This record gives sequence, C-alpha cells and structure tokens, in this order.
Amino acid sequence: MTIPQSPPVKGEHPLENLADKKIKARRWYHDKLLVTGAIIVGIALFLAAFGEAIAPYDPTVPVGPPSVPPSTTYWFGTDTSGLDVFSRVISAPRIDVTLAVSAAVLSGILGTFIGLMAGFYRGVFSGFIMRVSDVLQAFPVFILAMVLVALSGRNLTNLIFALTFLYTPIFIRLTRAEVLTQRERAYVEAARAAGNSDLKIAIKHVLPNSLTPSLIQLSVTVGFGILLTAGLSFVGAGVRPPNPEWGLMIANSAPQLVLGEWWTSLFPGIAVSLTVVGFAALSNAIERRVATS
Amino acid sequence: MNERILATKGLTVTYPTVQGSFTAVNGVNLELNSGEIVGLIGESGSGKTSLALGLLALARYPGRVSGSIDFMGQELLTLPEEKLREIRGRSIGLITQKPRQSLNPFQNVGTQIGRVYRAHVDASKAQAQDHAIELLENVGINDPQRRIKAYPHELSGGMAQRALISMALSAQPQLLVADEPTSGLDVTIQAQFLDRMWQRAEETGTAVLLVTQDLGIVANYCDRVLVLENGKLVEDAPTREFFANPTDAYSKKVLSLAGERAQAETASQEAGSQTPLIRLEGLRKTFKLDDGKVLSAVSDVSLTVMQGRSLGLVGESGSGKTTVGRLILRLLEADEGDIWFRDTDLTAMSTREFREFRSKIQVVFQDPFDSLNPRWSVEKAISEPLDLHTKMSKAEKAQRVSELLDQVGLSADVRGSRPSGLSAGQQQRVCLARALSTEPDFLVLDEPTSALPPVARVEMIALLKDLRERLGLSFIFISHDLSTVRELCQDVAVMYLSQIVEMGPTSKVFAHPEHPYTRALLDSVLFHDPLDRRVDREHLGALEGEIPSPIDLPKGCYLAGRCPFAEDRCREEPQLLQITEPDHLVRCWKSVEGILSGASVVG
Repeated sequence: MTIPQSPPVKGEHPLENLADKKIKARRWYHDKLLVTGAIIVGIALFLAAFGEAIAPYDPTVPVGPPSVPPSTTYWFGTDTSGLDVFSRVISAPRIDVTLAVSAAVLSGILGTFIGLMAGFYRGVFSGFIMRVSDVLQAFPVFILAMVLVALSGRNLTNLIFALTFLYTPIFIRLTRAEVLTQRERAYVEAARAAGNSDLKIAIKHVLPNSLTPSLIQLSVTVGFGILLTAGLSFVGAGVRPPNPEWGLMIANSAPQLVLGEWWTSLFPGIAVSLTVVGFAALSNAIERRVATS
Repeated sequence: MNERILATKGLTVTYPTVQGSFTAVNGVNLELNSGEIVGLIGESGSGKTSLALGLLALARYPGRVSGSIDFMGQELLTLPEEKLREIRGRSIGLITQKPRQSLNPFQNVGTQIGRVYRAHVDASKAQAQDHAIELLENVGINDPQRRIKAYPHELSGGMAQRALISMALSAQPQLLVADEPTSGLDVTIQAQFLDRMWQRAEETGTAVLLVTQDLGIVANYCDRVLVLENGKLVEDAPTREFFANPTDAYSKKVLSLAGERAQAETASQEAGSQTPLIRLEGLRKTFKLDDGKVLSAVSDVSLTVMQGRSLGLVGESGSGKTTVGRLILRLLEADEGDIWFRDTDLTAMSTREFREFRSKIQVVFQDPFDSLNPRWSVEKAISEPLDLHTKMSKAEKAQRVSELLDQVGLSADVRGSRPSGLSAGQQQRVCLARALSTEPDFLVLDEPTSALPPVARVEMIALLKDLRERLGLSFIFISHDLSTVRELCQDVAVMYLSQIVEMGPTSKVFAHPEHPYTRALLDSVLFHDPLDRRVDREHLGALEGEIPSPIDLPKGCYLAGRCPFAEDRCREEPQLLQITEPDHLVRCWKSVEGILSGASVVG
C-alpha cells in the first residue's frame, strides 16, 4: 500500500533541510578537524625524529652573516649570531615534542594507574591522593614548573619529570571520575561473583573501560607540554642555548623585534602555535568521535 | 458512538540518517474518541513512542512529522507553532516514560502544575496553587498541601508519575497521551495509578492513548487495542475481540505466548528432594547512612532452599529481596546470621576461601547489558569463570562455550559479538551461560526477566523452566512478577520492608494467601483476560500509599500504616513469623488466629 504523503507546508519541511545541512556541516567540520590535527601532529612527530637530519644547516653553529632577512639561501633568515632560523625551527621538535610526549605519556600512565586505585579503593588513601592533587592543581602551573626546575637543575630529564609531576593530577582526576561510575556497574559485581579478586577486577574489567578520558586528554597534554617547555625556555628556566628550541629562539630574538628583525621570533612563534593547535584539534576530534560512536 | 477527538491520515514520522531517512511511523490512520482508553502495543523499536509524540505534532530532533492530524476539526500539522503550543498541554496532555526526568528539578511540584494550568487558563497564582492541591488529591497523593512544596528529588518514582499525570490533566485536556507511564513502578503502585487514570477518563470523558508493552494492562484497562509493527498499524480492534481473535502475526505470537503461560501449571510440587541446599538463619543487614540514620534492609530472614528446588523471593522495590540475594553471594556481608551451604557456613569463610567457592554459587542480574563488560566478546565473558576456576585447555574451553551457548539457545555465531550487538534477550542468555559455565550447585537469579521486552521475557522463562528440569538446578528467583514466580518456583517467600511476611509452597500461597500484603500483591496482578477486569472487581484488600522508608521502622506490624485491616494491636505488637500449617508461615496475628476478614481474592 502506498501512503499519500501530504507535506504540512509547501515544499520541503524547513526542519528537515536545516537538520540535513547541520548534520553534514558538523560531519565535514569534524573530519576536517581530525585531518588537520593528524597532519600537524604527523609533521611534528616526523620533525622530532628527522628534523635535524633534513635541516639545510647545522642548527647549533653560525652558518652565515648575522641578521639576514629571509632569502633563498636562508629561508627564514638568520639570527643575531648568524644561526639559520629555518634549520633551528625544524630541529626544535626534537626537544620540544620529545619532551612533551614523554611527559604526557609518563603522566598518563602514572595518573591513570593512581586514578584507578584511588577510584576503586575508596578510603583514606584515596582521599589523601585527591587532596594532594588538589593542592598541586591549585598552584599556577608555570610558577610551579619554574620552581621544580630551579630546585632540580636545568636539564632535559628534570624538565620531563617536572612536567610529568604537573600533569599527573589531571589524569588522576579524569580516571578516578570514570572509575567511580564504572565500578557501580553490574559487570563489576558480576566479575566479583565469578570469583575475581579485587585487583583483577580493577585491572581486567574496570581499567579498560575507564581509559577513554585519559586517551583523549593525552593529545591535549602534549600540546600544553610544548607550550610550557617553550615558556620555561623563554624565561630561562628551560632548555639551554644553543640547543634549538622555539621558546629560547623567541626569547633571544625578542629584543631584536624593535629593530625590525621580525623573522627570528615570528617563525618559531608560528611553529609553537600550530603544534599546540594541532595536538588540541586531534584530541578534540577523537573526543567527538568517541562521543558519537 | 462517542465524539471523535482525533483522527490521523497517513501519519508518518521520519528521521534523516546518514544512510538516508528512517521511517519510524509509516502512514498510520487512527481515530480516538472521547472517554475511550486505547492501548498501543508493539515490540520495542516498532515506533510506539514516535507515534505517541507524533500525535502532538512533535518528533525527537531531527525527526519530521507528515501526513494529517485532525484534532477536533483542526489540522495540527499546518497550524502555526504558537497555536500548537496552546493545544499541547491544554487540549492534549502528555505523560512520558521517565517521570523524574520530565519534572523540573529546580521547581517544586505545586509551581510546576500551577504553571501548566496558568499557561492555558487565566488564573491567579493562588488559584493555580489551589488547583494543584486538588489535582494531587485526585490522583491519590496523601497530604497534598505538604507535597506541592516538595521538589522532584523528594518524591518517589510513583509519586512523580502521579504528579505528572496531574500536570497533564491540569488543564482538563480532551486527549491524554501516556507513554508507558507505569514502566518501572511496582505492581501495587501501578494498580493504584491505572485505577486513578481509568476513573478520571470515565468521569471527564478524556480520551487516553496508553502506550504499553504489558498485555495485562491492555486487558484490564483498555477499550480498544492498536498494534504497531515496524511503524505500521497492523491491528485495530476492540479489546475483547483482540484477545479472542487476533489477526496479525505479532499479536498472535504475543497472545499465544501469553496463553501458554496462563495455562502453565503452577510449578510441580513433587520435584526436588528434602535435603537442604541453602539455609539462611536470622540474616540481618543494615546500612549506615551519611546522616547517621540506620537503614534496615534485611531483618531476621530465615529460609531454606532444598536440593533441586526453586524458591521465589517476591516483594516490591525496597523490600530487601535483592539484598538477600547479595548476602548469599557475599557481595555484601551480613551483620548477623548464618548462611549454610549443605554443611558449610559460608559466613565463616574468609574472602579468599570463598572466592574459590564461588564456582558453586552463581548469579544472573537484572540488567543484562550492564552486567556484561562492554569490551568483552561473548566467548570471553562466558569463559571467564572457566579461567578462574578450572584448568581447562583452550580447546576444552571453546568446547564448553559451544555447549553452553547451545544450552541457552544461542547460535554459535554470537561468539565474537560484543554485548552492544546483541538484543536484551540474547544478552541475558549470555549472562545465564556465564553463570552455568562452572556447573554451579546453586543460582541466584535477581530479576533476570524484568528488564526484557515481553517476548524475550516469555522465552527466558521457558528457558529457565527447561534448564531447571534438564539440569536439576536449584535456585532462588528474586522477582516482583508474581505470575513468573508461580510458573518457575515450587516455594515462595513474600518480603515486605526487610521481613518475610509469608512463606510456603507456591500452590498454597497463591491459592490461599494469608497475609494482607500477599493478598494485595496478588490482587494487583493484571491477568490477560479482558472478561475479568480489575476495574470491574471490588478491591477489598487494596493497600493505601507506598512502601515506607526502611529507616524508621514502625514498632508493631510493618504493614500497619497501609493495611485496611489494621487495628491498635497491629501498631503496638511486633509481628512474628508463625506456622499456620506445617509448611505455611505467616507474619500476621490476625491471620494466624483466623480472624482476618475478607476471603481470598484469587483462586
């Protein structure tokens, strides 16, 4: 049987068009977001591995006259010491990205595990952990990072540890919140009734179901980590010169800005911003994907 | 013939999706007349809710309603939004499935009801308030003056649902659309609610469209039945005709399943032995609340399940029946009392010892989806207990999983599926297979059928019956569904407010219920028989109000506040579980002394 369709208003229903357009627009935007994020993150990771190898000049020694504006020989120009800006910009991820990724992964693992324990075994221990992370999160990140680096000494390992220390509470909090909802679900009780010990339930059942928030957070944290590393280097609490590092480059060339030497700070600045945006976009796109699937 | 209120022609609801549009309701033609209660049934996903909303020219985003809806001479689908809003609420009331989520948590109930009234009728705030009190009183809420000041979180589900119905009725609509209004309510509350709704419709001539999955509700309250299948109306018949002679395949299937159940004998008495398998003695469990008060979930529960027999534990939500199950499984530790498994005292075991022992006592929970790890495949879920308790090789485990899948009636190709890819019925079969994997001696079945749609429920019951006979299972079946208990269990224990109030062989308790609570429970059962309707019966033993909070328990009989037979002695004297016949125990002095008025209502 065919049913006579009598549309309520002439032509198409306005709601439907709107809905279709909206859905398509959203889908396109999200795919765009995912693709953009993935490309930027991919380039950043590639440069972290091979940046120095493909750089046209050695990024740590003077290779030409100082303060040359961008040209065909020096694509991004040279700085006051005659270092090639392009080579330095593409070599910097080896420090910036490696540092941020290591710190994010370490704090992700540590935070997720502590969060799992704090959420699963509620009690004095859990309360203590949460108060400690409250205190850590209450401090301005940047100041705390400076203090930590100042206390432990300015080297790469210490920077990684300082960043890890700062970001772990975020993962603790996220994982714990998810664990708290997961542990109330019946499959946890079913696992207990099947004869699992508490630790087995936590690791076999609850952990895999509580990972999503941490995985989403991971990418954003890398972005923040890059920003923080650059910031620390900018104020002199991070990477030592003459290592190629974005924050350091901006710091060294900022005074030259008033003399019209814009290229030495602009290019590393763009690099930092793009990378941070890229990691954030990737994280955002993954989050939407997870939420809609 | 009554006055026609609403008529649709080719009513269609579509949702645009990525793969093109999905038609939830497909060209439905229906009529609703004044004073008529029409039941709308159909499988989950058949478009019932979409149709119900569609009648108000509403669809969930991004759905779209088309066709024609003639409501008292007006075409709703061409009406401007403003006019439509006036009709919704004033002329067509809507009650949705989740009562608490439909109320605004920031406003008290009186304000919300008053607002609906004032949105459609010119009245002052004070008048609206008075109107709200009157309405709450009409739907049977005690102490309405106090209740209108209550916020939604302070109300029970039943009360919230009744507040919603008064809201829906506040502007005296000509049509009330109720979408599964009683799902999730207890049977006694459900009966109270439907009785009220039926009365209101009778008095005011309101037409009611009642969306439901429960044939009992249809048989007892509806004048006409509509059956929806895949968005198409496949049946439209008066209730009696529908039950006597359904024409479409779905109705036939549902009714024949229901018919088989009605004819099913009460679980046979001879089965099983007289060797006790599980014996609870003086079990007690209290919970300390944050404000220092103590909640008694289980007080002084003693019962025995014989080897090869099944015991039904019946009661409304909040009666403590689930807690008893969890105590047996030691998912909770009892405050007092012993649990004997054959000659072993389970409460005396250490947690570690008991972990080994768990292979002998297994469980199936109420919500099948929630009780399966969403990331695990069916095979992994079923073989988990085997990993924990046996030293089977991979091949042996695979073999055992195949055996179990076969036993619970699942085909082998679900092995690799995730729970989200299975229907609720299939999920529950997986849970059952998991529980059976280690060949346990005893099962705790905690409402395993109540979260399932009707057809799956009936199939599950048949499966349990079959397994009980084939494997000689012993189990405790926790449920609020009396007809299921009658079919599955040889013995029954009725719980009310943490106590067992009546216990005995199922046949005896169901034929001659002694305790007023058991009587009321049985009276609330809606049988699938339109010739024997609850609304035509007189309810001698109907209970007032709802199950009280188990925090401050009364001094005397716990039921005294709701019991129509209560007198002073009931309120003063704590009641003991006493033997009336060798195997029949009752916790009511009047019944024991044989002076309880009113004959048994169910034969």
